[in-house]
Amino acid sequence: MTFRTKLFVVFMLALLLSVAIVAVGVTAVTRRAFQDSNRAHSEALVAQFEREFERHKQDIVHRVQGIADAEATVRMAIDLSRPKADVSVYVNDARGVSESHQLDFLDFASDDGSIISSNESPARFGYKIDWLAQPQDWAALGAFLRKVDTQDGPAVGLMSVSVVRVGDKNLYVFGGERLGKDFLASLVLPSGMRALLYLNLDPSFEPGNLVDESGPVTDGERFATFIEQERQHPAEQAFEIAWTSDPANRESFHTLPLLGRQGDLLGALLVGSSEREVVLLERRIILLAAGVAAMGLLLGLLLSWWGAARVTRPVRKLAEGARAVSEGNWSARVEVRGRNEIAQLAIAFNRMTEQLSEQRERLVQAERVAAWRELARRLAHELKNPLFPLETTVENLQRAKEQSPEQFEEVFRESTGILLSEIENLKKIVSRFSDFAKMPQPEIGPVNLNETVRGIVKLFEAQFGAVGRPPITPELHLEEDLPAIQADEALLRRAIENLVLNAMDAMPAGGVLMLRTTHENGDVDLEVSDTGTGLTPEECDRLFTPYYTTKQHGTGLGLAIVQSVVSDHGGRISVESESGVGTSFHIHLPAKPPVRSTANGE
Amino acid sequence: MFERLAASSLFVAVLLAAAGPAEPARRPKYGGTLRVEIGAVVSSLDPAAVGTAEESAATAGIDSLLYERRNPEGTYAGVVGSGPFRVVQFEPGRRVVVAANDNFPGGRPYVDSVEIQMGRPPHDRLVDLELDRADIAEIPPEEVRRALERGMRVSVGLTDELVAIVFVPGRPFAEDARAREALSRSIDRPAIVNFILQKEGEPAGGVLPQWSSGTAFLYLTAVNVAAARRLWSEISGSRKIVLGYDAGDSLEQSIAERIAVDVREAGGAVAVGATKPGLLANEDARFVRLRMTSPQPRDALERYLRSLGPILGANADPVQGATPQQIYDTERAIVSTYRIVPLVWLPEAYGVSMRVRDWKTPAPGQGWPFADVWLGDAP
Repeated sequence: MTFRTKLFVVFMLALLLSVAIVAVGVTAVTRRAFQDSNRAHSEALVAQFEREFERHKQDIVHRVQGIADAEATVRMAIDLSRPKADVSVYVNDARGVSESHQLDFLDFASDDGSIISSNESPARFGYKIDWLAQPQDWAALGAFLRKVDTQDGPAVGLMSVSVVRVGDKNLYVFGGERLGKDFLASLVLPSGMRALLYLNLDPSFEPGNLVDESGPVTDGERFATFIEQERQHPAEQAFEIAWTSDPANRESFHTLPLLGRQGDLLGALLVGSSEREVVLLERRIILLAAGVAAMGLLLGLLLSWWGAARVTRPVRKLAEGARAVSEGNWSARVEVRGRNEIAQLAIAFNRMTEQLSEQRERLVQAERVAAWRELARRLAHELKNPLFPLETTVENLQRAKEQSPEQFEEVFRESTGILLSEIENLKKIVSRFSDFAKMPQPEIGPVNLNETVRGIVKLFEAQFGAVGRPPITPELHLEEDLPAIQADEALLRRAIENLVLNAMDAMPAGGVLMLRTTHENGDVDLEVSDTGTGLTPEECDRLFTPYYTTKQHGTGLGLAIVQSVVSDHGGRISVESESGVGTSFHIHLPAKPPVRSTANGE
Repeated sequence: MFERLAASSLFVAVLLAAAGPAEPARRPKYGGTLRVEIGAVVSSLDPAAVGTAEESAATAGIDSLLYERRNPEGTYAGVVGSGPFRVVQFEPGRRVVVAANDNFPGGRPYVDSVEIQMGRPPHDRLVDLELDRADIAEIPPEEVRRALERGMRVSVGLTDELVAIVFVPGRPFAEDARAREALSRSIDRPAIVNFILQKEGEPAGGVLPQWSSGTAFLYLTAVNVAAARRLWSEISGSRKIVLGYDAGDSLEQSIAERIAVDVREAGGAVAVGATKPGLLANEDARFVRLRMTSPQPRDALERYLRSLGPILGANADPVQGATPQQIYDTERAIVSTYRIVPLVWLPEAYGVSMRVRDWKTPAPGQGWPFADVWLGDAP
């Protein structure tokens, strides 16, 4: 992964993280705000219900009092106050009066609490309402909740009692409104909210007792736990019901207990608030945020890409410069822009390459001087050996001429023979130096390196086991499926023979000569190892320097020629050696040598 | 005894009221059409046709009027009875018109014709009477008091119709004597008479009225809450007795609802429901109305036994003799099974317009005395 890509990824991650944090924060804040709003709505509705409830109470008290104050009721009270009054006359009166006053429940009861007429339960005439005749300031009590027996079963009503007193007899007017769907329908609710009423008429939770303004609530069983909790501990409580797995179908409820005169739980009002609007709004916000985030991310992506490119361009230039230097372009320089750290780095890089170039120049010059010195030393050494016999022979000729003219002829013949022999030596020396200078260009063709190695070993077989010297054991580890490479076999053979000869020279006491071939990705490797005396690290460092030799009579050109051959094939050679253990030469040859440009550009 | 005296006094008072205010003797006038409205619906003039008690009574009433019958197109169809009228128009379930038979051996009726409207609701009958659109109209007993308060002329006859509850054979409670007795003892019959019937009727403990048998006072009609509670507590299970009433009968509905309250107060449970066909198939008990077709207790009792045979089962022993004791024993045997629970006796009541003269409320088993009625001038 490039530095630019990394930088881009870092930018993007930072951007994503920022967007995510903002999104989560916005969502949380929004949700909190909506929850607060919902709670406020519920509380407002509960307060509204309480106000409405209070208004209903006043209304009920007013209507029941209106019935008690009516002329017909007063006449009834007067009639019933007489001895042996016939109450049966009034048995049907409650129905008509309740209809005219829009009351669901209405009972007329005599002084002892016996029902004279009942609208909700006409058949209960004659039965007593015991609590009605007990001493109580009904006017002060106002309206209250009470369970009422009707023909259809028990119900809960918002009731009021008024008393018409004639003489020492009371006529009780007991009336009110049924708490049910009509009552709920009279409540004005905001959109998304609804009111449910549970009437606590049975010993345990009964789904049919839970109604909304249209009738019994479907899925009423879902409320069982909460209603049961309310029944056990009447108090305001809040809970939530998830109607489906979709959060939009969640509904939160606020429960308000409805208590009777004695504190008994007669019912509970449940104010439901659908979270659909909230969730949908939340989703819209999230969708909008996602859209904005996506656009931001896209913009961030482009800006990050541009920024990363802008930031990494000097670094890339530096890297390109460094790569050029590594490839030998010592004149590579980096453009310097600005004064920031990258610019400082570029300046330092340029300064470093300049210094490296200068040092390399000095090193080349030093090596060149050292090479010339070595060459001079070798030439002097090579030439000094034949010159000494030449000088001695010439002096012998002069001495024979002056001191023994009779022997001069004989001396002359011997001396001229020696002179010619030494001159021949000198010519050979010059010829070897000339040969090194005139290394031929490789003639490339397919070469099976294993065959070449086997041929060389076979050539040297006689010398490995020659009489009078310790034996050398050749070991071949040749990979069978070694691919052919493009090379000049003659040059390769010459280089490998050179290495084998060096190995034999390194093992005067005999040993093991190992040749190994391997390949990888079409390239081949050759290892030539001996178990000879080994080399010192210093010797290893200078081993491929022309005219350097560790042998008594070597020219110092053998390994230089080997390195030259390997180099001409685009390969490389290295040496590993340990003193007293042996030496190994590693040659790596590419499947195909690089195209070498000629001096004239071909 | 009190009940007997009260009923007799009431009967005399009603007869006096029906006779109208005292006025100088006048000769009856012939002519006119007597307009009569009844609640029953007669779909066939054949007395043998099976119908409700009310329909059968109405059919018998109409039949008693007839001497001859004509086809719908008015052609003579033959003598069918010995009555003073002949049918000239019959619309089943709605209307029947009978015309005076000039050849009636007992003498031609005073009115030329009688037009009987059937199936009229009580409220409509009262309104028609008040607006002089009807001359005679049947009035439910519970409406008598209101009619009197509105100044109408009302004629109330003897209590000749028994309202009772019978247990449906085969249903679980029909075989549970304690449940049947508990139900009977839970019912406050006087309250039903006083409040629902507005005192027009009598609590019924037996199946024969006091004026007929003279022994009705021997049956207890007051509620016995203590006994009822004890019996209900002995009945295992919490199943309700399902009591069915005629969906079109408001009186039965009111009584049924009162019984439900009484039973609940006594610790039992009764569910009431209308018995329109297919509406309430699981009723344990239902209302039945038995009309006295004869003032003779033995005749009435035998008729009851014939009609209640399937309900009474093995307890439907025939009347062994004609003495009051034997009749009482038979009646007691029927009542003590509690398979029939007598509730109240209802009287026949008619509203009569002021132009109707010589109207007498018919006695049980007698037909309508339309032949004796004549129409005078309205006051």
